[in-house]
Amino acid sequence: MSRITLENIHKTFGKVKALDGVSIDVKDKEFFVLFGPAGAGKTTILNCIAGIAMPEEGVVKFDGEIINLVETAKRNVAMVFENYALYPQMTVYDNMASPLRSDLYRQNEDVIKERVYAAAKMMKMENLLERLPSQLSNGQKQRVAMGRALVRTPNVFLMDEPLAHLDAKLRNAMRTELKEMQANFGTTSIYVTHDFMEAMSLGDRIAIVNQGKIVQIGTPDDIYYLACNEFVAQLMGDPEINILSGLLRKNGDNYSFLSNGSEFVLPADAALMNKLAAYDGKSVDIGIRPQHVMYSFSKDAGYRDYQVYSYESIGNKSVIEAYPAGHSGRGDTHTHVRMIAPNGLTIKIDQLIYIDFKLDHTMFFDGSSKEFIGCYNEAGIRALSAGKEEA
Amino acid sequence: MAGLKLVHLYKRYENSGKKKSIQNNYAVNDLNLECAQGEFLALLGPSGCGKTTTLRMTAGLEDITKGDIYIGDTRVNDLAPKDRHIGLAFEDYAMYPPMTVYENIAFNLRAKKVDKNEIDRRVREIAPLMQVEDILDTMPVKLSGGQKQRVNIARAIIRRPELLLMDEPLSHLDGKARQAMRVEIKRLINEIKCTTVYVTHDQLEAMSLADRIAIINFGVLQQVGTPAEVYDNPVNEFVASFIGEPPMNIMETKIIKKDGNFFFTFEGSDLNIHVPERYYSVIEDGFKCKMGVRPMDLLIGDENSKGTPERIATFENLGDERRIGIRVGNTLMMLITENERRYKSGDIIRLEVRGEKTHLFDLETGNRIREK
Repeated sequence: MSRITLENIHKTFGKVKALDGVSIDVKDKEFFVLFGPAGAGKTTILNCIAGIAMPEEGVVKFDGEIINLVETAKRNVAMVFENYALYPQMTVYDNMASPLRSDLYRQNEDVIKERVYAAAKMMKMENLLERLPSQLSNGQKQRVAMGRALVRTPNVFLMDEPLAHLDAKLRNAMRTELKEMQANFGTTSIYVTHDFMEAMSLGDRIAIVNQGKIVQIGTPDDIYYLACNEFVAQLMGDPEINILSGLLRKNGDNYSFLSNGSEFVLPADAALMNKLAAYDGKSVDIGIRPQHVMYSFSKDAGYRDYQVYSYESIGNKSVIEAYPAGHSGRGDTHTHVRMIAPNGLTIKIDQLIYIDFKLDHTMFFDGSSKEFIGCYNEAGIRALSAGKEEA
Repeated sequence: MAGLKLVHLYKRYENSGKKKSIQNNYAVNDLNLECAQGEFLALLGPSGCGKTTTLRMTAGLEDITKGDIYIGDTRVNDLAPKDRHIGLAFEDYAMYPPMTVYENIAFNLRAKKVDKNEIDRRVREIAPLMQVEDILDTMPVKLSGGQKQRVNIARAIIRRPELLLMDEPLSHLDGKARQAMRVEIKRLINEIKCTTVYVTHDQLEAMSLADRIAIINFGVLQQVGTPAEVYDNPVNEFVASFIGEPPMNIMETKIIKKDGNFFFTFEGSDLNIHVPERYYSVIEDGFKCKMGVRPMDLLIGDENSKGTPERIATFENLGDERRIGIRVGNTLMMLITENERRYKSGDIIRLEVRGEKTHLFDLETGNRIREK
């Protein structure tokens, strides 16, 4: 049971700056996700908390107490790794019991039995206890690795991409199961992943990490709807958000967005228009998620001419990617627009398609800095996000 | 360009008697399959199902135990790989490291002693198609995974093969590069209109690329059909659960009769689902089987709904969509919704099921039980 605080952590490996002033504050019993691309520094943050890596600058606190100089073994953290790290010669039961048989955390065998069975029940693997790791599937191995962390009552669970080894289907299934068990953890957890679905689903809060820095911290709704810049917006969601570059221009009481030879008259939203006032005549980017792009096969009013670049099923729905009509499909991919469509449409590559945007779902970004300016119904989204945090 | 025909094809490895996992010891077991001229056929199945073995026999890299392979009208069983007029692109790129991209692409034609100017013309013709114009003078070691795979495919198609064989060409690439490359492959095949057989274990890749998909398990062909056919009309439980993500919910059920109507009931759950009338002729009171329904075909009812009240076990907000899990006995039944409402675990929803979208599977064989 612990609050974990990192203040201004710096860590370098040779000439490489792995962490560059990282500060996070993880609340007691919170499930906190570190999310970012490969090489961002996520695992290094975890290692600093565990005591495996020593920061050159900054402090690590457990419940307000500075523990920089406390050895790894005495920090009482439980780690789960991507590559399970099970003892091959021991049964599942013995693997799970092993932390409680170590010198530091030794318990008597009755207590061990009780804890192992409780953890096995939570992980739904009571029937596997007598098996050897070689007799387990990868999903089961990962369950044992987690179960082994659960038998103790550590200050914090540190999980480093525990599902990354598994194939897509199993990963999704395990993620959902983990979500179900989460309520019973009752322990502060820090979870590293590069899979946005894991971050969205599991995190009470998410910290976006990139190039050794924390880019944004917030609830999943904050990150998804109020991404602090284009980089974050592009990380969340599959297919990726559409970003269109253009110019903002005053149009009566409201504004128009001019992009690629088209004018989009922006719907009213007083709070947003106030924020946009500073950008009159300047370049802005708009971000619009694929589910907010509408298409038609006949030329409806307001729809613009595009041509189909690709149409592919992503399981229970499909994605159409289109490019402005008359352009070459190749190269200029930043003018492409992705949208969600049902499976089974008859669509030919390069055929004409007509597109419009649900502009009242757009996010606005500064054209040069790529930082978030505002979005429609921002107050409503903040309320939704805050409500979730309280619950 | 030509079609491909596999007739009663068998493959047995000499040492396979020791492996209990392979049914009847055949890695490929009586496979009959046709790929029409210009068609894109995916061979899909879990690892070890025999899909790569089939491809390798087609390429001539593996002996055929029994059966015939025709490319076009020619029986190719006894032809050397080089005489089969096929292009190969495998998972590992196997490029010649001391040669530039240009030389790698040109290598096959040089080996065949094609005229120098002709080689140059063809390399320059194919380079823009595969978007490798800018890297023709680069050494392989400096290329990204996506670029290597482009070169690899360029090398396969420059020979203008009758048949293009690809084995998991994308599995080395990570998420976004993979998605982008998938689109490129689809556009390329559409452009060169080459007959293509594509091996993958990723149902998503098969669904998005192929004209038709052949699903294989334990060396046995399960079903061949268009992506829509295998998704909507699976022949058995294996296909139903292999295609689609998240997979189809499949649960053991006992059908009971109440007031002249039949209902699916589930052990350890009060879930009750009306059995569609089309099944009435093949079921009876107390009938046991498995019921399958896709996560998209489960709905959240409004306050007037007659659906069974069910407790939410998991609620996942994934941004683009939300997934709800409901415990039905030992199974976590998944529902997908784009509804913006935020639930939490423990909330009660009225669960409705699109009855017309339910499938029945035999408890023992796993085969679809079809309405008469």
